[in-house]
Amino acid sequence: MRRLADLPEDTPARIRALKTPPLLRRRLLALGVRPGAEVRVVRRAPLGDPMEIAVGDTLIAIRHAEAAGVELEE
Amino acid sequence: MSCPDCKSAAARRDLVKSARMVTIGNPNTGKTTLINALAGSDLKVGNWPGTTVERLEATLRLPGKELLLVDLPGTYSLSPTTPEEALAARELLANPPDVVVNVVDAGNLERNLHLTLELAELGLPVVLAMNLMDEAAAKGYTLDPAALEKELGVPVIPLVASRGAGIEKLLGSLDQARVPALQVRYPGALESAVRELASRLEHPARRWIALALLAGEEVPLELDPAVQEFARSRRAELERAGIDPYLEIENARYTRAHELAQRVLVGSEPRLTLTDRVDRWVLHPLLGGPIFLLGMLLAFRFTFLFSTPWVDFIGGLQEVLAGWIRALPLPPLAVSFLADGLIGGVGTVISFAPVLFFLYLALAFLETSGFLARAAFIADRMMLLAGLPGRAFIPLILGFGCNVPAVYATRVLTGRLDRLRVAMAVPFMSCSARLPVFVLLAAVFFPEQASLVVFGLYLLGMMVGLLTAWLIGRAAGAAPSSGLMELPPYRLPAARVVLKQAWARTRSFLTGAGGFITLAVVVIWALLNLPPGTDMTHSYYVLLSSALKPLFAPLGVDDWRLLGALIPGFVAKEVVAGTLALSYLGAEPSAALGLLQGLGQIIAGFWSSVLATLGAVPALFGLPQLVPPAADEPTALQLALASAITPAAALAYMVYVLLYTPCVATLAAIRHEFGRGWALIAVVYELIVAWLLAWGAYRLALIWLGA
Ligand SMILES: Nc1nc2c(ncn2[C@@H]2O[C@H](COP(=O)(O)OP(=O)(O)OP(=O)(O)O)[C@@H](O)[C@H]2O)c(=O)[nH]1
Repeated sequence: MRRLADLPEDTPARIRALKTPPLLRRRLLALGVRPGAEVRVVRRAPLGDPMEIAVGDTLIAIRHAEAAGVELEE
Repeated sequence: MSCPDCKSAAARRDLVKSARMVTIGNPNTGKTTLINALAGSDLKVGNWPGTTVERLEATLRLPGKELLLVDLPGTYSLSPTTPEEALAARELLANPPDVVVNVVDAGNLERNLHLTLELAELGLPVVLAMNLMDEAAAKGYTLDPAALEKELGVPVIPLVASRGAGIEKLLGSLDQARVPALQVRYPGALESAVRELASRLEHPARRWIALALLAGEEVPLELDPAVQEFARSRRAELERAGIDPYLEIENARYTRAHELAQRVLVGSEPRLTLTDRVDRWVLHPLLGGPIFLLGMLLAFRFTFLFSTPWVDFIGGLQEVLAGWIRALPLPPLAVSFLADGLIGGVGTVISFAPVLFFLYLALAFLETSGFLARAAFIADRMMLLAGLPGRAFIPLILGFGCNVPAVYATRVLTGRLDRLRVAMAVPFMSCSARLPVFVLLAAVFFPEQASLVVFGLYLLGMMVGLLTAWLIGRAAGAAPSSGLMELPPYRLPAARVVLKQAWARTRSFLTGAGGFITLAVVVIWALLNLPPGTDMTHSYYVLLSSALKPLFAPLGVDDWRLLGALIPGFVAKEVVAGTLALSYLGAEPSAALGLLQGLGQIIAGFWSSVLATLGAVPALFGLPQLVPPAADEPTALQLALASAITPAAALAYMVYVLLYTPCVATLAAIRHEFGRGWALIAVVYELIVAWLLAWGAYRLALIWLGA
């Protein structure tokens, strides 16, 4: 299964499900990170974590551990 | 005033003439800028009652009526994930305004219109302010606001708030505010549950409330328990049918917002934006770190280099005023009270104003420009070690300059617990006022390793601070902080807005924390000068200092003069070194001043402060002074100290000064932000930690240096 946490940079993918704790899921949804949306990893921080993702017109910082719950379509 | 009826009658009369309007929108869409453009000079910054969430308010006088304008905290949605967002939803439901101005980012319509669709469900009259049109154009977007107007059935006004473009049109359209005609349709079973539930509610926002209940949200209203029970059973039914109401609702709203955005976006030729280009450097894998450190250093030096001349100026002013008072024919005790107690207290309060003002300028610039989010992104991994989000870095680093602004800087964090954790850690960051004590003692007792000792103390403070933050997080059983945040586009902050906001926030410190600080200074004055007619060696101060002896005997410090210096150190840590000099060497007489002489000093002081501020510009980019200046000749004070205690005890004393109680201004800030209880906890906790670690340092030093 593909997870957002492991997505290489600049490879667009589609989100399938948010398997995250409830509060984090709400935060993700509020920012537009939702099943069906296209996501792209822009870059990773100099220390490797967190990473920057683009969803629609929004740029978002997300930690590796948080992105591990975001499942992608194959 | 105490009769409630007259009050409400007066309020009713007001309602006729004035309407209440609120602005709401996603964070960073330019709400503050818009309010500034609308309100001109009449802007008030305060807090939402019972919170530390900032509230902007303005009164707008239009021909024939008055508009009260309130800015709601920026929010992505009305189902809150932070206290700020909860406040926005609560305010809209409990206190429905006459008009809602929904500020949306023209360059990010889909996500912004999601909130608009929620507002439609609230049943409130809306005008849509489509802001940041210039940025959307720079992105290569061509937009058709008229199409959106048709779809939503509310006025849609394109704006560039930072340039004031479109403001007149917005004002003119307020009369045509309407409840949006467009309502999201939810999939079959969900939609019928929503309708059924809504029909049992009597509130203009019944559709939104029904949706929130089905999604399992807390609704900040008093609801009929029967209705709540009904909602619970429908929700359970939906879940049994394999439907996740929350997800379905969000999904339907986003799908609709997407369609709407597509309708409005008539052309798009994606271009590389400013943000893309700047981030390539600022977030570069190798250069990102150094650029981040440089940026933090700049913000730090900006705050302290520019404010120092003004702090000095206020100090000079204080001296002149005190000098004038000494020239008055008053009894000595009264002169001393006015000159040292009262002017000293008020002067201490005012001397924080320049520091806070420049700090707020730096923070507002960092925050509204988009740099703050990048700094948090880079620092996140480090802060995660203490279980803190990346933004915590900013208040902590400011703490090395002065703890007071650092406590206020915790506002860059979302969530009260994270703020509190950082605010409790801040006082352990060794502020610049503690350095003179370290330099003085290190030069006497550890002349060879003075720099190393001072550096070690800074490090110790930092570690204790981070550990404290970590412990509080642990004790509160909080979920690990989140690193999730938007990285907003880079934008040039409007100088006028930033200046005005910085001044309003500084004023809030003066009124909110000023009394407490002045009082503390007066108490210390009383200790030093009472009972009347005695010199210092017979004052309550010496009695108290001597009483502390048994407590500090285990640390090897038993000289009342050293112990006593800790007491005024509570007012401001820079006083510790001065008090040591005073009690070892005796007081220098302070002179009375003539009127003209004093005025001359004020003018000269003002001028030199202006020059020093200008002179700070090149210094801003100079190299920081990492090594404390070493004194060459041992002074009389140093000789006196050398014979007063042992090196091991000196080390314990330095550790104690580093960690013991926040100064009174920092406490006032903690009290102002988090309440009296936490200020008290901070004092007790830090006194205990300081004693324990000083004791540890003393024992270790005894082993290491020999007794
Ligand atoms: N280019 C451009 N910049 C704008 C415009 N409106 C506001 N800004 C800038 O956008 C940034 C954010 O504006 P604010 O007014 O602080 O946004 P806000 O919505 O009040 O932000 P929060 O209170 O944090 O939710 C500032 O740097 C403004 O100068 C605009 O129309 N065009």
